[in-house]
Amino acid sequence: MGNKSVRVIAGAMVVAGWAGYAAAQSASEIKIVLPEQPANLEPCGTIITNVGQILSRNVVEPLTIIDPKSGQPTPGLATEWKQTDPNTWQLKLREGVKFQDGASFNADAVKFSIERMTGGKLTCSNIAKFGDAKLTVTPIDDLTVEIKSDTPQPILPTLLSVVMIVSPNTPADKAVNDPVGTGPFKLSSFTPQTVVLEAFDGYWGEKPHITKASYVWRPESSIRAAMVETGEADLTPSIAIQDATNPKTDFAYLNSETTAIRIDAGFAPLDDVRIRKALNLAIDWDGLAQLFGEDVQRASQMVVTGINGHDDKLAPWTFDAEKARALIAEAKAAGVPVDTEIELIGRNGIYPNGTEAMEAMMAMWQDVGLNVKLTMLDVNDWLRYLQKPFPESRGPNLLQMMHDNNKGDAAFTVPIFYTSGGSYSTFNDAGLDKEVADAMAATGEDRTARFKAIFAKVHDDLAVDIPMFHMIGYTRVGSRLEWKPDITTNSEIPLANIALKD
Amino acid sequence: MMLGYIGRRAYHSVISVIGLLTLVFFLTRLTGDPSALYLPLDSSLEARQAFARLNGLDQPIYVQFFQYLQNLMSLDFGQSLRQNRSAIEVALEAFPATLKLALVAMTLATVLAIVVGALAAARPGSLFDRVAGLVSLAGASTPDFWIAIVGILVFAVGLGMLPTSGTGTALHWIMPIVVLMLRPFGLLVQVVRGTMISALASPFIKTAHAKGMKRRKIIFGHALRNSLLPVITVAGDLATGLINGAVVVETIFGWPGIGKLMIDSIIQRDFAVVQSTILVTAIAIFIVNIAIDLLYAVLDPRIRY
Repeated sequence: MGNKSVRVIAGAMVVAGWAGYAAAQSASEIKIVLPEQPANLEPCGTIITNVGQILSRNVVEPLTIIDPKSGQPTPGLATEWKQTDPNTWQLKLREGVKFQDGASFNADAVKFSIERMTGGKLTCSNIAKFGDAKLTVTPIDDLTVEIKSDTPQPILPTLLSVVMIVSPNTPADKAVNDPVGTGPFKLSSFTPQTVVLEAFDGYWGEKPHITKASYVWRPESSIRAAMVETGEADLTPSIAIQDATNPKTDFAYLNSETTAIRIDAGFAPLDDVRIRKALNLAIDWDGLAQLFGEDVQRASQMVVTGINGHDDKLAPWTFDAEKARALIAEAKAAGVPVDTEIELIGRNGIYPNGTEAMEAMMAMWQDVGLNVKLTMLDVNDWLRYLQKPFPESRGPNLLQMMHDNNKGDAAFTVPIFYTSGGSYSTFNDAGLDKEVADAMAATGEDRTARFKAIFAKVHDDLAVDIPMFHMIGYTRVGSRLEWKPDITTNSEIPLANIALKD
Repeated sequence: MMLGYIGRRAYHSVISVIGLLTLVFFLTRLTGDPSALYLPLDSSLEARQAFARLNGLDQPIYVQFFQYLQNLMSLDFGQSLRQNRSAIEVALEAFPATLKLALVAMTLATVLAIVVGALAAARPGSLFDRVAGLVSLAGASTPDFWIAIVGILVFAVGLGMLPTSGTGTALHWIMPIVVLMLRPFGLLVQVVRGTMISALASPFIKTAHAKGMKRRKIIFGHALRNSLLPVITVAGDLATGLINGAVVVETIFGWPGIGKLMIDSIIQRDFAVVQSTILVTAIAIFIVNIAIDLLYAVLDPRIRY
């Protein structure tokens, strides 16, 4: 082969490469770049961010959908619901819905999907939202179903937003990577490099603008941002603050995550309310906020606005080092061992600048006279301190944490954080347990008021924890798309809501 | 003779692999119960216990180990907890991407390093030697993640000549290969140059000069062949490093290789995948090492097995 031939072949390869690279997308196809590869595509795991962002309301649909503004359930595959007694709800199902494999959506399909979730034969993350409740599903007729729980479920319609309905042909005894649902898109392929969804012609609802969506994943935020900037991708849901440099394409949004420090109230000096209040007062919150960007919101409670039970009027602690010192001195005078070493336990990579935040807070607490030492742990070690049973060898400790509740109700937060039996709780207060139980059983405005009262009590009176900030996410949206992120973006990106600019 | 040597090395390798897998099995279990990582943070204790039961993690570790050995006998390498599928399938799917990248990068790095190193050694202290020394030192010592990100900013974002990352076209290969080959190229240029300078000072080279042999033939025909053994040793070492997975390059460029898979599996405590990726890479490394030993014999007739 002569030199000329070699040059021709090499030139052709490069041109072919450029052509293939340039013709990556057509007008109604989009590419979304996610931070992480989805480990699997099991519909029972849609509360996991990278699974939910692909599947939820695209391939599989829930019975109800939480309105991001009001936090209230709205119709999904269930169109109406009513509570017939404290433990029983009756649901009317949507007519004329087909699964992507041709099966009909009906009461039997709902029974199958819920029993698949609760059957214990596969790992189902979504079921965690139901706690220990035992559900019995009974079809009343083809499009009416009754769901009975062994304990009262006043917010069952809210909980049903995590029940993804799958085709009755789905294996009931093992997790799947080829989900079949009723959504506007069906799974076309899932490889280690990409997931491709294609529009489902038999969808019951309005036809989406997009005909095909490809998902790829890059862990580096700067690469994801660059991919949207160069037009290689159209959207990336989570970029670092330092990469959100273009106001035309980068949107900040309240992402439903709240950062906090949990106080282990089981050990002195942390069992003294004065010390817990001093911990809240000793932090220069405005200074600390600089680590997280100007859009971050100071938190006074563990749920964001829009979640039922959130109290807009509950003011966060403000920085007052002198008052913190005075409280510590008062506690010391009363015999509290304020010099005892307190371990501040952080988690590597929990959120951007998380380690720097812990170092700054440790310094501020030391400044008011508390003996705080920082230990950073990897996730598995850190989990031992987060969830019960806690390590027996632990002493007084403060735990860095982040909580995500975008499910519309404080019920997904309050019991695990503040009741004696809560899996994160270090607090044992029978009075508080009773108040939480009453709030959980209440409905309507009474429920809202009770949760607000609990948040006020744990914040103002008991100072159970140290709420830090309601976090902000940054999303880069390419110039072809008409779409803005909201509080639900961390758990779903419904393609049907994305419009294409002309 | 040679076949006997390969047989002995293969036999020793099998023993090493079994030892390695045993060690990895127990070391991974020491990192703790993975159920907390696979379930939502607000899962109940009962749910976590059910997860452990479902995946056999509630059994004593020796029972799990014997079960693992028993499954190995029937070539069952276990299920990936994360991906709901066979762990060996996951590992074997990722390995070719790493292998292809490593093969191209190492071939280019070695060939270029031999040419540049030999030419630099032929005229020590010349401008070419100094430029080669500077470039090779820079290549060997610059962090690859920095080069990768700067490369993306310049060639993808700035000039729009290359894609930022991913796979699919010939252009997607350019940046990962260049980034991956820089370090081996830099190190090998230094090694080739050093060994060539020694070889060029040898009496047999002086004899070749005295016989009036052409300079190019002396450098590439005689001196280079005698300098290659240390180069192959270093290149083999670097190649096994790349086969193990080019984690940084795979992460930044979204290359679906075995290095990133291995790290992700370790972080996620996906035990079966950790074991499978280590098995696959260990076998590949043993094969490379045997190939290097055989190459020694080809290059130096004095070596016999």
